[in-house]
Amino acid sequence: MMDLEELKGDWLNLDFDEREFEVKPDEAVDFARAAGETAPRFLDPSDPDFQAPATFTARFHGRRLLPEEFPKIGLPLDAGKAVMPKRPLRAGAKLIGKSHLHEIYEKTGRSGRMIFLVSRMELFEGQELVSIVDSRMVIREKPGS
Amino acid sequence: MILDLHTHSVKSDDGRAKVANYGQWIRKKEIPIDGFVLTEHRQFDAESDYSDLARKHGLIILKGSEVETEYGHVLVFGVTPALQQAFDFSDIRLPLARVLEACEEHGAVAAPCHPGRTRVGMCAHVDELGVPPGVRMVETLNGGSRGSEDQAAQALAEQQGYKGFGGSDSHIVSHVGRCATRFPGPIASESELVEALRALDFEALSWKAPS
Amino acid sequence: MTRGFDDVEFGEDLPELRPDTSVANVTLFTKAAGMFTGRFTDHEAARKQGLPGAIVPGIMSQAIFAAMIHRWAPEAELQTIDTVFRAPVIVDQPHRVTGVVTDMDDETRSVEIDLTLQNEAGETRVLGTATVRLP
Repeated sequence: MMDLEELKGDWLNLDFDEREFEVKPDEAVDFARAAGETAPRFLDPSDPDFQAPATFTARFHGRRLLPEEFPKIGLPLDAGKAVMPKRPLRAGAKLIGKSHLHEIYEKTGRSGRMIFLVSRMELFEGQELVSIVDSRMVIREKPGS
Repeated sequence: MILDLHTHSVKSDDGRAKVANYGQWIRKKEIPIDGFVLTEHRQFDAESDYSDLARKHGLIILKGSEVETEYGHVLVFGVTPALQQAFDFSDIRLPLARVLEACEEHGAVAAPCHPGRTRVGMCAHVDELGVPPGVRMVETLNGGSRGSEDQAAQALAEQQGYKGFGGSDSHIVSHVGRCATRFPGPIASESELVEALRALDFEALSWKAPS
Repeated sequence: MTRGFDDVEFGEDLPELRPDTSVANVTLFTKAAGMFTGRFTDHEAARKQGLPGAIVPGIMSQAIFAAMIHRWAPEAELQTIDTVFRAPVIVDQPHRVTGVVTDMDDETRSVEIDLTLQNEAGETRVLGTATVRLP
């Protein structure tokens, strides 16, 4: 069984992925429309305040969910997502997303331990932090891992 | 007196509710409970003092814990410093027998919660591990469980002769008081709650929409 | 219509939203979100993966919560939104989304909102909280 303290010591707060993203206006509009947004600032690219919905950054993900060498303790399942927008996302913005493991904790399940991992992506436009996205994953630990 | 015996605040890793907002919510929405017990996951919050908030809102606010055993999650009421030394609340593999025994020894009560849940409830473990001795009550109405999960909890209680109690298992403000427990007399402290639970004279209540 | 902080009351319910969970709308969303897998848009493909049917992506439920907030307060600025995916939201099935104000901060003119997405049986499939700043 994986030692959680060891896992935290080895993997927390280390950047493991960096990737570029672009806020494409057509995608932002479709994302907003499908979600049920009605305001022109989300639906009309000619609106002076046009912007992508604040949760649009939740669609960006790095090349990997977890660090490359992270122990293979089971399949990570999506358990939740938090977005902390820092300012509006304008059309055409080029963002850099940097990911690190932000939290690791455990809970019990019927078939053994469940390990929760929070992978945090910080999105920058130039030097400015524009959004933080936390992806909560749960791994049902494989027996004997 | 009606108490919600199972609530979480921001002190729990997955809790998003501030205790002050629970008080405000109960009064604003006229939730028909007289108070609630904070049962934070895998810990006892010895530091927080909610007596001012309790006075402000005219509510009873007590503290307990929700620990994890091989039979699933278990609520602990009447936590004392001595009980906290008896076992590690943060251990997710506590033997239920040890929790029950320590509670008995230190004037507390341990009671399995949401037993009908597929992953963290007692029903799922009984077939494999057998019926654990020493359990006297289980949460038969849980605000976060589905109707079928509550039914499984009630069936277990009926089969084994357990007394059923209710708790909302709220993690957000607006879920407090969805289920609760009615006691015949007043309860103003953790020790009085333990006494009332040990008397096994209470009734589980639910205000959940039927599912 | 502007809804400012002073127009809001603790305990206020946001107008309920009935989200469009049709295959066509979920397909529009998944294309915009770059999610190209049948589990979201094809019931048969999803069943082959052991799911009860095609499922609405978690981030779509989150975006629906944000849309409900904007319909209630068009100028609301989202500061945080935290969602827990408790159970699958099945495509083509009716759902309802509710929100209620559970905290108010005079200093920052922000409010906290409890959010739930329920199926027809009244089961909460997704829940969350959001903090929004109001004019």
